[in-house]
Amino acid sequence: MSNWWDKQIQRADQLAAQANGSRELLTFYAQLLRAQKEIHDFLRSRRDWLPSGELELDLSVLSEALPAFLKKIESYGPASLAAEAHDLSRTDFQIVAEKLLTYWCTSSDIKFFEKAFLQPYLRWLAETGAMPVGRDTSLSERNCPYCGGNPQVSFLQNKETTAESGNRDLICATCLSSWEFRRVVCANCGEERPTKLGYFHSPKFDHIRIEACDTCKHYLKGVDLTRVGFAAPIVDEIDAAPLDLWAREHGFTKIELNLVGI
Amino acid sequence: MEVSRRTFIKTTLIGGAGVSVFGFSLAPVYAQTQGLKIARTTETRSTCPYCSVSCGVIIHTLGDKSKNAIPQVVHVEGDPDHPINRGTLCPKGASLEQDIANERRLLKPQVRRPGSDHWDDISWDDAFNEIARWVKKTRDATFIEKDAQGRTANRVETIGWIGGCTDTNEFNYLAGKFMRGMGACYYETQARV
Repeated sequence: MSNWWDKQIQRADQLAAQANGSRELLTFYAQLLRAQKEIHDFLRSRRDWLPSGELELDLSVLSEALPAFLKKIESYGPASLAAEAHDLSRTDFQIVAEKLLTYWCTSSDIKFFEKAFLQPYLRWLAETGAMPVGRDTSLSERNCPYCGGNPQVSFLQNKETTAESGNRDLICATCLSSWEFRRVVCANCGEERPTKLGYFHSPKFDHIRIEACDTCKHYLKGVDLTRVGFAAPIVDEIDAAPLDLWAREHGFTKIELNLVGI
Repeated sequence: MEVSRRTFIKTTLIGGAGVSVFGFSLAPVYAQTQGLKIARTTETRSTCPYCSVSCGVIIHTLGDKSKNAIPQVVHVEGDPDHPINRGTLCPKGASLEQDIANERRLLKPQVRRPGSDHWDDISWDDAFNEIARWVKKTRDATFIEKDAQGRTANRVETIGWIGGCTDTNEFNYLAGKFMRGMGACYYETQARV
């Protein structure tokens, strides 16, 4: 399924060329996607091997992809990430492995390297049908049913051929798979009262909106694919970074930070 | 990288010159934020009022919740999560927004007096009183206590009830009790919700 990665990369390149405030973010994200695609391709092309779903067992294979990944971040990342990548490339792999295993059990959106490095592995796991071992997948309907991760972004897409309305899906921040979710419900706390759920929209980002909850004061962004069908939600979400700053200024906290830390 | 989400939020808010949690400068993003015109809408799940299929709809209302602002319906679409229509709407239902936001829509009760050629506005209290008076007068005048064979009937054949499709089960239960209590025979609902 490399096409999926190609689509994200293509969209990131396209948006980076047009972007105003988020150009630097998208330029980096396009390179990060390329690095993640390389990890995914490496895992896919490995002969006589399928992932077990237990990270500790699969790390021996996964570790081979780490140096190239760190090199890419060192080359294209901002100074702080580049320095961290440089340090990690000189760190004993056992220490890196411990970091990855810690993230595996307790995901955190401020652990860039763990999250970015394991995303393609988890996506490959999902594609092969292996279940991730050691992750709590029974948290709630608001968490990814496959890996238990938080939602990164939602998107609306027509599923009924005669419908003009879009069904809402959430994309997992940890494994990048998606799951169906109801339209008028907070993806963080489950609030259903319409007066407590605000949808903020700017003409500048016509197909993207902030889906915020007045009860828990959390939000995530929604990408409407019924308006722009070729959009890639996880990429377009980064392009609309100004909306994130607006949401924060108005007291909302994002459910999960993305891979540019917004 | 030892930075908490709270620290990040703090840095992005001070003068717009902050950095993201992973070290990206947010100055250009913040500059773009300043030019954004943001509107708040709410989405309310409801039921199409037109027919007994009772399709689910989502009504988009524009308004920032301030007390002096009047919310305005800007869009109505089929509810993709509704088991009956799963996001689809018939052409009539798809035009529901024009029914809600329509200057010819009646927002208060009116009465047309006998012999009059026009409708007069009437208060809700007066409308209730008038309806009650006419119901009682009609019932008293046409109540059938015994049928032609002398059997007890206790019914009214001159008052009927037609329920709308947005009436809930509970509403229809009360309406049924009321109509049966009056002895009215002609009673129909479109109970679906």
